[in-house]
Amino acid sequence: MTQAITLHEITKSYREFTAVARFSLQVERGTVFGLLGPNGAGKTTLIKILTTLMRPSAGDAFVEGFSVLSEGREVRRLIGVVPQENNLDRYLTARENLILHARLHGMRPAAYNPRIDELLEMTGLASRQHDFPDTFSGGMQRRLVVARSLVHEPRVLFLDEPTTGLDPQSRRALWEYIRGLRHTMTVFLTTHYMDEADALCDRIMIMDHGVSLADGSVGELKDAFSRAHVYEVEFRGDADGYERVLAGLPWVRSVERNGGSYRLTLSGEDALKPLIDSLAGADIRKISLKEPSLEDVFIALTGEKVRE
Amino acid sequence: MLQGAFSIWGRDMLVLRRSIFSELLAVVAYPLTLYLAFGFGLKGYISDVGGIPYPLFIAPGLISMTAVNAAFDESSWSMWFHRQVQRTIEEYRVTPVTVYDIVIGKILSGFSQGAIKGAVVFLVIMLCTPFRIDYSHLPAYVFCLALASMTFSCLGTICGTVIDKPENIGRVQSVVIVPLIFMAGIFFPLSSYPASILPVVRLLPTTAVFEGARDALLLGAVPTGYLINLVLSAALSFALAVYTFNRKMAE
Repeated sequence: MTQAITLHEITKSYREFTAVARFSLQVERGTVFGLLGPNGAGKTTLIKILTTLMRPSAGDAFVEGFSVLSEGREVRRLIGVVPQENNLDRYLTARENLILHARLHGMRPAAYNPRIDELLEMTGLASRQHDFPDTFSGGMQRRLVVARSLVHEPRVLFLDEPTTGLDPQSRRALWEYIRGLRHTMTVFLTTHYMDEADALCDRIMIMDHGVSLADGSVGELKDAFSRAHVYEVEFRGDADGYERVLAGLPWVRSVERNGGSYRLTLSGEDALKPLIDSLAGADIRKISLKEPSLEDVFIALTGEKVRE
Repeated sequence: MLQGAFSIWGRDMLVLRRSIFSELLAVVAYPLTLYLAFGFGLKGYISDVGGIPYPLFIAPGLISMTAVNAAFDESSWSMWFHRQVQRTIEEYRVTPVTVYDIVIGKILSGFSQGAIKGAVVFLVIMLCTPFRIDYSHLPAYVFCLALASMTFSCLGTICGTVIDKPENIGRVQSVVIVPLIFMAGIFFPLSSYPASILPVVRLLPTTAVFEGARDALLLGAVPTGYLINLVLSAALSFALAVYTFNRKMAE
């Protein structure tokens, strides 16, 4: 079996709404998989189901072949979890947080002490191991949470929006660290940052409103949507009047203004000529094809900008 | 078995050790003040109750009150804090420990705090006042107190599990716990109640705790009715605590 994670027709419903609907997915062992979507897409719900914090309304999920419904304890032996919010114990030192985690996994001091030493060195926290997490910066706390999740050498690591709230330097440092984990374990991360998914993931699934919208490697998604036809049009002089005109054109899926220029997502490559025809006589300074980013892919799929 | 529970208990004891001095200072002040105020302040007006000198009458109840309050406080606030503020309960729940390990660990912590603080108040009252006991009665008293602390620790765990707003825990203490404790015969004999409601009062778990503890410490034995009440209360509250926590986590 090469699938580290399998989701089979997972549904999670609450009284008023459905967070995830018949969601299926397989993640190959040893890869970094990214689940990308805006806030409220259902990403955290899926992670909670996979980490046995939540039971699905229907369907089942398997981590390294163990069912989250009937073999939850076995699943928890194998997984490490970096939650969206830091849930460090502020009344324990950095080292004590890691020791408690090790004990909860049934490790003995002879096993966990050297492992904790190694992780503290790798995360650059060795000199602060006897300090309390409240005295750490946000980036350091995040690194400690990641170190904690690795104490028991999990086979699958779940990271739920790992760099939310971090400054750019801390984000990049954490990205480097996560990159170092690839091939030693399977990494499943959720994010709403396009650049993060782009930087880290071997494979990305884009989801929103509880359903999968697209699935593939970063390159595959961009290629598939390279004909997503995003053009940047810059006008000379007063560009105010063009916004309504452009938005009203039936083959323009979305319009985003940035000062005097507009970023247009067209419905297809055959929409370019009608666009030029519509703008005939307009005082255009520049019109250029934009290589699609994942954001463009998302807009092409949903017609909306990413909700932050 | 229960290795997870003991790991969580160990964590709580480590944290207690760090702040033990300030915790004990706080926990000793209140019952000692009550003992001095009522035991000595009222001595000129109330010489004895049923032949027992008034300071001796109230001392066992104050010690028991300290223990059960500490057990309730620790369990309720700790569970609430770990659930709602620090969210460390989620960290526990993604490890192989079971829901039972978590709730048993928290109950053990509450019970331990009750035992430690009750013992300290006992020592302080012994040192600072003329209160004296027959030490052969201690095992019965400790047994009674252990069951009481377990019950209140379970009740605290239930409160900390179901209550999301912290002010509501305080309200439960003010409206339910404190009245039950104060009306269970710490400062006055149960015979003060009208005969019509005395049977109901005698059935309350808190009456079993405080009357039973007094009888154990002063007479060396817990009346059978109170003993059965204590055991059943501890067992029922434990089952309810585990069920409540399990259900809350399933939500």
